[in-house]
Amino acid sequence: MIETIRTVAVLGASGTVGSLSGGLMAQNGLKVYFLSRTQQGSERGLQKAISQARSEMIARNVICGDYEYLLKEAVAEADWVVEAIAEDIGIKQRMHEQVEAYKRPQTIVSSTTSSLPLSALVQGRSAGFKKNFLSTHFYNPPGRMSACEVTGIEETDPAVIDFMRGFLTNRLCRVVIPVKNIPAFAGNRIGFVLFGRITLLAREFGVEMMDYLIGPYTGRLMAPLATLDLVGLDIHKAIINSLDEHTNDAMHSWLAMPGYINTMIQRNLLGRKTGGGFYKKLESGKYVFLDPVSCDYIPAIEPHVAFVEKAKHFIRMGMYKEAFEVILSAQGREAEVVKDILCAYVAYSYSLVGEVTDSRAGIQGIDDVMSYGFNWAAPSVIVEVLGGANAAAQLLGKKGFEVPPALKAGLKSHFSVINSGKYFVAK
Amino acid sequence: MGGYQTDFARNWARENKHIAAMMREAYQGSIESTKLDAGDIKAAFIGNFAGELYCTQGHLGAFFVDFDPRFVGLPTMRFEAACASGAIASLSAMAHIQAGIHDLVCVIGVELMKTVDSAKGGDFLGTAAWYEKECVGIEFPFPKLFGRLGDEYDKRYGLDNKYLARIAEINYSNAKHNPNAQTRDWFMNLEHACVTGKYNSVISGRIKVTDCSQITDGAVCLYLASETYAAKYAKQRGLALKDIPCILGWGHTTAPMEFARKIADSADGEYVLPMTRKAITDAYQRAGIKDCWELDAIETHDCFTTSEYMAIDHFGLTRPGRSWEAIENGVIEINGKLPINASGGLIGCGHPVGATGVRQLLDAYKQVAGTAGDYQVPNAKRVATLNIGGSATTNVSFIVGVGING
Repeated sequence: MIETIRTVAVLGASGTVGSLSGGLMAQNGLKVYFLSRTQQGSERGLQKAISQARSEMIARNVICGDYEYLLKEAVAEADWVVEAIAEDIGIKQRMHEQVEAYKRPQTIVSSTTSSLPLSALVQGRSAGFKKNFLSTHFYNPPGRMSACEVTGIEETDPAVIDFMRGFLTNRLCRVVIPVKNIPAFAGNRIGFVLFGRITLLAREFGVEMMDYLIGPYTGRLMAPLATLDLVGLDIHKAIINSLDEHTNDAMHSWLAMPGYINTMIQRNLLGRKTGGGFYKKLESGKYVFLDPVSCDYIPAIEPHVAFVEKAKHFIRMGMYKEAFEVILSAQGREAEVVKDILCAYVAYSYSLVGEVTDSRAGIQGIDDVMSYGFNWAAPSVIVEVLGGANAAAQLLGKKGFEVPPALKAGLKSHFSVINSGKYFVAK
Repeated sequence: MGGYQTDFARNWARENKHIAAMMREAYQGSIESTKLDAGDIKAAFIGNFAGELYCTQGHLGAFFVDFDPRFVGLPTMRFEAACASGAIASLSAMAHIQAGIHDLVCVIGVELMKTVDSAKGGDFLGTAAWYEKECVGIEFPFPKLFGRLGDEYDKRYGLDNKYLARIAEINYSNAKHNPNAQTRDWFMNLEHACVTGKYNSVISGRIKVTDCSQITDGAVCLYLASETYAAKYAKQRGLALKDIPCILGWGHTTAPMEFARKIADSADGEYVLPMTRKAITDAYQRAGIKDCWELDAIETHDCFTTSEYMAIDHFGLTRPGRSWEAIENGVIEINGKLPINASGGLIGCGHPVGATGVRQLLDAYKQVAGTAGDYQVPNAKRVATLNIGGSATTNVSFIVGVGING
């Protein structure tokens, strides 16, 4: 096994994940090859990395090139090869075949995918390759999101995983979450199941109202449908489909893709990258919102629901528990939707302890990935603002959710309301 | 008696939070971390520079009584001395203890600053100087004033900007180990700090972006207690009184407001800012120490690299004008003979103006209590602070120690 990492080859450095994670490595003093299909693409990636670091100095640690001319040399020199190319099994398999031809035996290879089955990516590769292969799933943008999920395949040498966990933590300042090798890992599994539920509910309540009800005041920096606009509806669909194919649990029905999302994708309403998704910004600076029924954009309704406004006031004053008391005591269908989503988040997160993360880690790993990867208040913090494990369990029961054993056990982490105030935004 | 600092990387304005929310979080965090009985708190002292300007809110002491039903009726008060507001609040709290008025008091330093853009914020900060004489029509007056401090050093003793860049690099490097530091995830190296470019533009004269501390939102809450209370607290927890950190000495001076006058007044002296030097030596005298070499660490006011450069010789690490020696020899580094700003200082940790002096005092406490975590200076027993307001107009130094009480 290698003893240290000095040189990294990032494959797919023109893309967001490759360029920004590669930039992070360059910021921390590693020599990094930025490789993509074209020299220009790699150089564009470098500009993104410079913008993230806010310093041109990192360019001194970066060599840009294309696969044709530089892949062999870069991979041969690299201690670590990071594969961040298109989310396509065939393309990834062919790339890994090339990497194996050029790399040194001990060189570590990791993929940044979270949605494709890892073992399929290295089909046909040697035992030596597989021993040094793992997944390092960086959250985006890594300059602001420090979560990184790490897992291996059956053949991965546990010492390689241990080494990379230490390296990512100490050298790249990542919050490493060891996860089980099940597609979507921990963060996307929980996050996208919730997103799936919210897109279903948006048919009934409308886009603007849904983001208003499940807005930042409920413990997230960004409202959920606005987040999906940032992620891109095409990516959302790919992750939902992958979860549908590879997982089966009590929340599976929430993975149904509502028809209007397919229509949005057909019409290229993918989100910010195509100029409109759930939200569309007009030249005037005002927003219009997608109507899930007609798939046309409709003017803002500027919702105002009394319990939401009252809860936001308490959040603004830093009185988080009082805000959630308001939510819990509120009546009506809007209040029930908010409680439903909060309960689903808690129930699903706690139910996955031991399935997506090691049970010995308790709720810590899931808390970490939701906080540092999604910028959501950790599930254990939501339990705290709901009044503690017993109160949360009662609420879950009342709302028809099974109470997970991990919640009954009262599992906690190093997160608390005191150190999680930033996730409760008065908007 | 310990306390709590909010994460200085947070943007509370973006969270749409009221300034009282910051005070509340700092207070709640401090009670959780110190395990003090809130019912023992007898008064609250709030340090804040310009709540009225940044968030249209004054009278901050009044918010304290909302944090616990038992606080209604307590005396609370707010203190302002520009960037030294936090230290002045702490000094006044200390005086109330020394006068025998109270046994346990709460000090909160707080500032909400990201409510306005940098130009407006720079103008607000100008009120910490003589606004009419030094700030009208000047964009970012303070970088200019502290640039002139560097110019004065250059004129009297010579100053190579590479030493200023190294100060920035050290502070950013230390901040990487501080989980509450504003810049802990920011990129910095010596080359970046030395070079002028798109991401390190010149603000004024020799002052580039990397020479500046960055304003931020933050609050810090700590507690000061009488010896009687500390003895009771120690006994209840099976500790010796000498293990409870205490303020060993302090110094407090005020220089003329106008920077030009300060410089003119010191023209014939060894020290560029003699009133800053006096605050430090007064603190030494009250603490019963003869010089800086009886300290284990310093938390100084590096609002700009030039102000830390000034602090190095004013604390006495070098002869006047030779601060560069302590930088070149590694004296001020975290593993050096006398580390400066293990927390990252204002440059690395961030500078929420009214909170800074309280933050420094809390960091001094953490160092001597051995609870500074990854930025702990090994075996720190005595730590000095220097908090300055305006262009070194108000100067406050504390010396905090442990293992000295009866």
